[in-house]
Amino acid sequence: MITMIVIALALGAVVVFYLAARSRSRQSHQPILPVDVQALRTLMDRDDELFLQERLPYSRFRRLKRRRIRVTMSYVGRVASNASLVMRLSASTRLMADPEAAAIAVQVTEMATQIRMQCLVALGKLAVEFAMPSLQLTPAVLAPRYQALREQVLRLGALEMQNIAPAAVSI
Amino acid sequence: MSIAAGINGLWLASLALDGFLLAVLIVKGMWKTFPWFTAYCAWDFLETVVFYFLAGHPGYLSLYPIAESISILLGLAIVYEIFNHLLSMHSALRRLAKMVFRGAVILLLLLAGAVVYIHLPFNFADVRMALMSMEEAARVLEVGLLLFLFIFSSTFGLHWRQHEFGIALGLGILAVAKLTAVTVVQYALSAVGMINLAFLIAIDLSFLLWTSYLLVPERVVSGAVVPDRTQLEQWNEAIMELIHQ
Repeated sequence: MITMIVIALALGAVVVFYLAARSRSRQSHQPILPVDVQALRTLMDRDDELFLQERLPYSRFRRLKRRRIRVTMSYVGRVASNASLVMRLSASTRLMADPEAAAIAVQVTEMATQIRMQCLVALGKLAVEFAMPSLQLTPAVLAPRYQALREQVLRLGALEMQNIAPAAVSI
Repeated sequence: MSIAAGINGLWLASLALDGFLLAVLIVKGMWKTFPWFTAYCAWDFLETVVFYFLAGHPGYLSLYPIAESISILLGLAIVYEIFNHLLSMHSALRRLAKMVFRGAVILLLLLAGAVVYIHLPFNFADVRMALMSMEEAARVLEVGLLLFLFIFSSTFGLHWRQHEFGIALGLGILAVAKLTAVTVVQYALSAVGMINLAFLIAIDLSFLLWTSYLLVPERVVSGAVVPDRTQLEQWNEAIMELIHQ
């Protein structure tokens, strides 16, 4: 039994190494994905959900909520992907000579890391809500945080035009 | 070509590749950035030279456990070195990462303990088998930690720089090859020649990988790949439609 676990560990490691190598080569072509923060806020609005829950029969509400969760998940996935890209871009800006740009880059990296963590938590909670639509677990802090990150990336883009500017425009 | 000749050739090739890798680390000044990795390569070079001349000698078996223990400890130090490099830019993640890392170490130590336990009591008349069981347990820890490193970085979307990625990947291939070899050989002693041959191929492959990753310059990170504006609008329209359905 233990030998089987050890062999499975070795095989699993080979698969993970292969996937990591493949994803690293793809990462260099990873685009910034557009996110409509207003739409994300609407999707995460609990009042809206409560209104629907009160007015609609449960089966219809469940169907609607699951559809809403699917859309929210794709939005959160985009936020997570953008946060990861911003982490990468700002990490290279941190080493710049301009102290103001370097300081903002540190803040941007921290914010992006926190957003990435929140996205993981949000995706987990959304998955639970998908299984049990009557639950309300999703935190509403992701949209304002992402908005704050956007503003910081814009500031950084204004200071360091070549590297961050395209991301600042489209995030 | 016989298996023995193949093993001999691959052994010598690994020595040459290791020497070249050491030269690259020293000439490019990378030993300052990766001191543990440099120590590992230097130790491996010394170990290969000594064992090449000691092959078949009775002193081989008494030196092997000491040399392998140092090699395993240096391997674990490399994992920690890479882990620190990876998190150097993400202080927000450091606390969580260290907590998860400790958890992973405890879990893997339990698995390693289980590996030793199933081989008990050791028959010290057959020192080789006892050593293999111990090495299997240590390699479980090494492979597991590398696996943790890759999964953790992909979960949090951390970016690997070229050199760190190459070192981790090469070490991963080497650790998996060693783990597979020590696990399989206990059940297939008759195929030890073939296992050694495959294992040496993995070693040479790791050295080639390390050297190429250290020699090829890092690709410049670019944020210039941005989506088309019309794509963005289409996406937003689709979402708004879906919301207001």
